[in-house]
Amino acid sequence: MPIKAKGVSKSVPPTPWRIFLTLAKINTLTLGGGYVIVPVIENSFEKQGWITEEEFYRIFSRAQVFPGPIALSTSFLCSYRIAGAPGAIASVFGVVLPPFLALVLVGGFISLYGDTELFKRFLGGAGAVVPGLVGSMLWRTVRKRRWSVRTAIEVITLAVLLAVFPSAAFFILIGGIIALYLGRLVWKS
Amino acid sequence: MEILSVSLTFFKVGIVAFGGGWSVVGLIKQEIVPHWMSADAFNSLIAIAQSTPGPIALNAATLVGWQRAGFWGALTATFSVIAFPLLAMSLALAFSKYIPLKKNLADESLRSGSIAMILMTLWTLLPRTTMPMSWIFVLASFAITAFTEFNGVWVILGAGALNMVLGALH
Repeated sequence: MPIKAKGVSKSVPPTPWRIFLTLAKINTLTLGGGYVIVPVIENSFEKQGWITEEEFYRIFSRAQVFPGPIALSTSFLCSYRIAGAPGAIASVFGVVLPPFLALVLVGGFISLYGDTELFKRFLGGAGAVVPGLVGSMLWRTVRKRRWSVRTAIEVITLAVLLAVFPSAAFFILIGGIIALYLGRLVWKS
Repeated sequence: MEILSVSLTFFKVGIVAFGGGWSVVGLIKQEIVPHWMSADAFNSLIAIAQSTPGPIALNAATLVGWQRAGFWGALTATFSVIAFPLLAMSLALAFSKYIPLKKNLADESLRSGSIAMILMTLWTLLPRTTMPMSWIFVLASFAITAFTEFNGVWVILGAGALNMVLGALH
């Protein structure tokens, strides 16, 4: 017997095609980072009677262990849960295709108008605020975390290594994250 | 050859793309500036990636791929950046019973890793100029997005429009 979720407006069977359409629509219309889009996906999946809120966020928390965009990993794992491998594959296309097509259009637009003075000014202004947005992301992430001496040392060590050896960033990150995990296994705090 | 090197670059980026889009931007910059584009061009590219639908790492891959090798470059880069995450999830679904990963410990380690990555991103993106106008844009956008619930996308578009009118930068 299927689980009835709260606030189900219509129950549609989660076929791969429906999953693709649902995610494609959300990924076309939602602007902003992964943490903006995840609740929208939850709402839509729940309304169609595919998954409960609790189950969705349980999978979401597991999805964070994997690299890649959080919208992609959450959609992939949830779709696998409700519709198996075909659902998971459909979800990948639902997440990837709309932004891809949007950017192909933008790319065409830029090759047409990219050389005009006005458009260069627009890009200059748009690009100038990017460090400010990163700063606020850092501010929010740092405030949200529960800090201890251990986590502070971990972050500072990794950040210093990245600043001193930027060309080895990839290996520092992989090695560093594995080392932190093993360190936590050995010395539990 | 160009497509292959774009593909390899973004496959690597996909392996360490943890903790929200912004964290990986510093690593992408490290990989492609200055030999593929200038620092200013990179900032503009990131602004476009953030203000169009879709995850920022994915969009950055598409745009860089497009710039290096046209449509097929864009397609290859996009699928390269998600190749490792998809592989990792598929393997985990198939073999989860045999993987003794302690999720809480992994979460905490990844959190430390991603905060360090955001620090690196911030450090590599900060303007290398003393031009006051650049810093005014940075500080104003920080204040707006850190202390209000204003969506960053509108800050990007607003700053672009403002500079179109004023021509204050460059």
